[in-house]
Amino acid sequence: MSEQINSTAGPLVNIRGLTKTYQEGDRQRVVFCELDASVEREEIIVLLGRSGSGKSTLLNLISGIDLPTAGSVTVDDVVLSALSETERTLFRRRNIGFVFQFFNLIHTLTVEENLLLPLELNGALDETGHAFARELLLAVSLADRAQSYPDRLSGGEQQRVAIARALVHKPLLLLADEPTGNLDRDTGQQTLKLLQRLTRDARATLIMASHSTEAAGLADRVFNIERDRLIRLPGLERRGA
Amino acid sequence: MILDRASLRYLLRHPWLVGLSVLGVALGVAVAVAVDLANESARRAFQLSVETLSGRFTHQIVGGPNGLPESVYRRLRVDAGVRSSRPVVEGYARAPQFPGETFQLIGVDLFADAEFRSDFGGLGTRAAVTRLLTQPATGVLARHSARRLGLNAGDTLMLSVGGQTHSVTIVDFIDAADPVSRQALDAVVLTDIATAQELLGMRGRLNRIDLIISGDNSALLERVRAVLPAGTDIVRAEQRSLALDQMTRAFRVNLTALSLLALLVGTFLIYNIMTFSVIQRRALIGSLRVLGVTRRQIFVRIVTEALVIGLLGTALGVALGIMLGNGLVERVVRTINDLYFVLSVREVTLVPWSLLRGTALGLGATVAAALLPAWEATRAPVSAVLRRSTTEARARQLAPRAAVAGLATVTLGTMLLALPSRSLLLAYSGLFALIIGAALLIPWATMAVMRGLQGVMGAGLGVPGRLAVRGVVATLSRTGVAVSALAVAVSASVGVGIMIESFRHSFVDWLTATLRADIYVAAPVIHTSPSAATLDAGLVARLAAVRGVAAISTGRRVRLDAPAGTTQLFVLDTTQQNFQSYQFKRGDADSIWKLWQGTDAVIVSEPYAYHHIVDMGDTIQLRTDDGERAFTVVGVYTEYGADEGRVTMSRRTYDRHWSDRAITFIRIYARAGTDVAELLARLRGAAAGHEIRIRSHASLREASIEVFDRTFAITAVLRLLATIVAFIGVLSALMALQLERARELAILRATGLTPRQLWQLVTAETGLMGFCAGLFAIPLGIGMALALILVINRRSFGWTLQVSVEPMILVQGLLLALIAALLAGLYPAFKMTRTPPALALREE
Repeated sequence: MSEQINSTAGPLVNIRGLTKTYQEGDRQRVVFCELDASVEREEIIVLLGRSGSGKSTLLNLISGIDLPTAGSVTVDDVVLSALSETERTLFRRRNIGFVFQFFNLIHTLTVEENLLLPLELNGALDETGHAFARELLLAVSLADRAQSYPDRLSGGEQQRVAIARALVHKPLLLLADEPTGNLDRDTGQQTLKLLQRLTRDARATLIMASHSTEAAGLADRVFNIERDRLIRLPGLERRGA
Repeated sequence: MILDRASLRYLLRHPWLVGLSVLGVALGVAVAVAVDLANESARRAFQLSVETLSGRFTHQIVGGPNGLPESVYRRLRVDAGVRSSRPVVEGYARAPQFPGETFQLIGVDLFADAEFRSDFGGLGTRAAVTRLLTQPATGVLARHSARRLGLNAGDTLMLSVGGQTHSVTIVDFIDAADPVSRQALDAVVLTDIATAQELLGMRGRLNRIDLIISGDNSALLERVRAVLPAGTDIVRAEQRSLALDQMTRAFRVNLTALSLLALLVGTFLIYNIMTFSVIQRRALIGSLRVLGVTRRQIFVRIVTEALVIGLLGTALGVALGIMLGNGLVERVVRTINDLYFVLSVREVTLVPWSLLRGTALGLGATVAAALLPAWEATRAPVSAVLRRSTTEARARQLAPRAAVAGLATVTLGTMLLALPSRSLLLAYSGLFALIIGAALLIPWATMAVMRGLQGVMGAGLGVPGRLAVRGVVATLSRTGVAVSALAVAVSASVGVGIMIESFRHSFVDWLTATLRADIYVAAPVIHTSPSAATLDAGLVARLAAVRGVAAISTGRRVRLDAPAGTTQLFVLDTTQQNFQSYQFKRGDADSIWKLWQGTDAVIVSEPYAYHHIVDMGDTIQLRTDDGERAFTVVGVYTEYGADEGRVTMSRRTYDRHWSDRAITFIRIYARAGTDVAELLARLRGAAAGHEIRIRSHASLREASIEVFDRTFAITAVLRLLATIVAFIGVLSALMALQLERARELAILRATGLTPRQLWQLVTAETGLMGFCAGLFAIPLGIGMALALILVINRRSFGWTLQVSVEPMILVQGLLLALIAALLAGLYPAFKMTRTPPALALREE
């Protein structure tokens, strides 16, 4: 019933017997049922699947935003469901970066302030933090837009800011939910490459939910969520992975 | 912190929202501060004038309606050896040459007085003191009062007391040492005690005797009691001040409560705006939570934002309150003067405690209003926060449950109000529960009304009409709260409006039933000393003999001071027929008349019965010339004239127990067919030389209603202010709702909605919400009015009022909500029709 993502020692993410159900009116909808999976450190994973298949739900469960109905998610040896709400928030703040389809930038903060926010939340807003934020802005080619507000940027630019923000506090795990879903094809491709490059540079682990097969081409492993199972699609994976 | 910046910029980017909420807080705080300052200024003025003019004393010896014989003072000093004592003769006088001015006339025993007060230390020069002592009809004024009136030393001041005019020569001036003395000494004339006795018609008598008895010297007190004749009593100083303070307490408490109502309305509006700002930022809050911002941080952020709005609003509100307070103090003092006692306050005193209380109220109300939205913002799971549709679905699911909770709260409130208690706190808690319960019911009721209106709106306006109805239901998380807050705001205006109207109705009905005589004659009365305003005994016979007079009845108004408190006594010499003007709570006038004519019987007014917990058949104790006597209550009558209550007894009973034979007023009944105007002229002719007031039935009725309206003018002002707060609330909330829908409206424009249809959609939607708010405000307003009239007023003043619901007030409430709502739609509709859809569709 389950698909083993990887079984090498010391995976970053460990999913055991994960079940998630939702109440929809009178009936219960099962998204996952006793799912087992693990993700190695510095791996790039792409999750494919049609809309409503549960890609976002899985990302939410891995980040601790949502809690499983049964089973457990362990990230860096920490069982998320064993943590309190505040502990999960603090864990997320330190170890996880997020990239969304709709960017979710804070519109009342400038580009630079958006980047500095995770550092401030982690108490790391020092000179090194500022320097790293500037470095990331250079890396996403937005150094000249540091003082702009998000609504002055194009969609692609906003997503680049979101990627930089997700990496600025050097998280172990990066979760991206349809990061190109709101971008044109070319911009989407550039964004994916940037995301891959920066993840590799940061030696982080990336789990990305996407519709795009182009995204799959950048992944170490690709899975399709079908019904409530994970099916590996080796043919779509990055060559040499 | 970066998060602080994000909050601050959010506030700066929504100036309409922030500006209107600041204004909402400011108006609420302003009303509360203004009323508090006006009340405090009046109370302080009263206390300071008591302290400054009376000086320090520990006990007072008080007598009957005509005070005490002077001999009591002599016996006290000589027989009992009480040196720390002073005689007091004081009263009020009008100054015909300065219309509208009332002077307090204080007779000072210059030898005994020094120990009692320090403020009169600079009582003019030695020569002036000698003149005061040796020359009759001389007096001293405060220098600032004299300057105001343009009086110089040697000038004559005409003073009219009880219909008689006297002249007093001003021999010197006192300089007020500080602003407090300045206020207290304003409109005071100091004379030698003999002069005061002469002017006030109290030759050989004193109003009271003040004593200083240090500690609890019971032996000395016993010695004092031993020399006191029957009909006199000794009361502690604080009892007297307390009694006067208590007299206006209910009035002040009610004003404060009404001002708090304005603040409550403001609080609801802040709640609405904070909820709106939270709902609007749900996605943003979700993003922040994903980034690792804790629930606590989100909570603190939202409460801090509210605090910023609260601080701005409170600062503005306190400033506005001080300005408004200056306007209100005059009205409060005028009401106190009309109803209770003479007080002179020319400007508001900036009482730090009042300002502090206003600040605490403003900030407290804002933070309290923000707590629930802040909690709501942090409570939802992050995954749900990121999905708008979940919010709306949840709001619609919650509405019926909230309605059940609301119904339970309304029931609880009604039960609290119905509890047989005298507690005002309980009554206000009941009223509050009623309001909260109704607010919880309203979102569900809005959905129900919208379902009912769907067909009509669709038929009337087509697509925009249908979209408007659906829009209200689809965004219930925003619209439900807005309609609730607005309904509460409008209902306050409706409730207070009905209360004032019911009061007026009851009062006018009572006046019509009570004023049966054709002509009323009285000495000009100044409230503190009704006993002193008497009519010449010969005048009664002269007026009775005037052609066209069928019958006369006379009466006497007396204030009885006693350790247990002050009693307003009304003495009537009337006929059984005229006695019919009394409206009794139980029993008929004829049988009560028979009992009343009997031995030691009285009838009491409803407020008296309520405050003293007495009913028919009970007895009350009154201090007569022969000491305390029990009187049986044979009837309780309706009366809206005096809230402290009155005891009415027949002249025959009064004369049996008191030696006072004076008359305060005469009621004249015209012979059938007599022209009242001509009779009035003949009576004025017969009374020539006496300064008395002769008024026709119509003129007295008019004057009474005028006093009533003046009394309620302040309540009407408060109602107006609450209405303005409500109006701004409706306007701001609905305008904000529409402005924030810019993107949605742009999609509709892009889809093919014409600018005209957009106008229709926006105004229909705001109009529908305004209509719902106005509609729900009607039953809630009536409920509030019932609580105010039947419970709160009864517990404050002891009055039972007839509830009178003027349809016009209900229409006004509905129109208020509707007009404000329609106006609220104008700007967003205008803005959206002018903005190209493409621009509005840009990602914000």
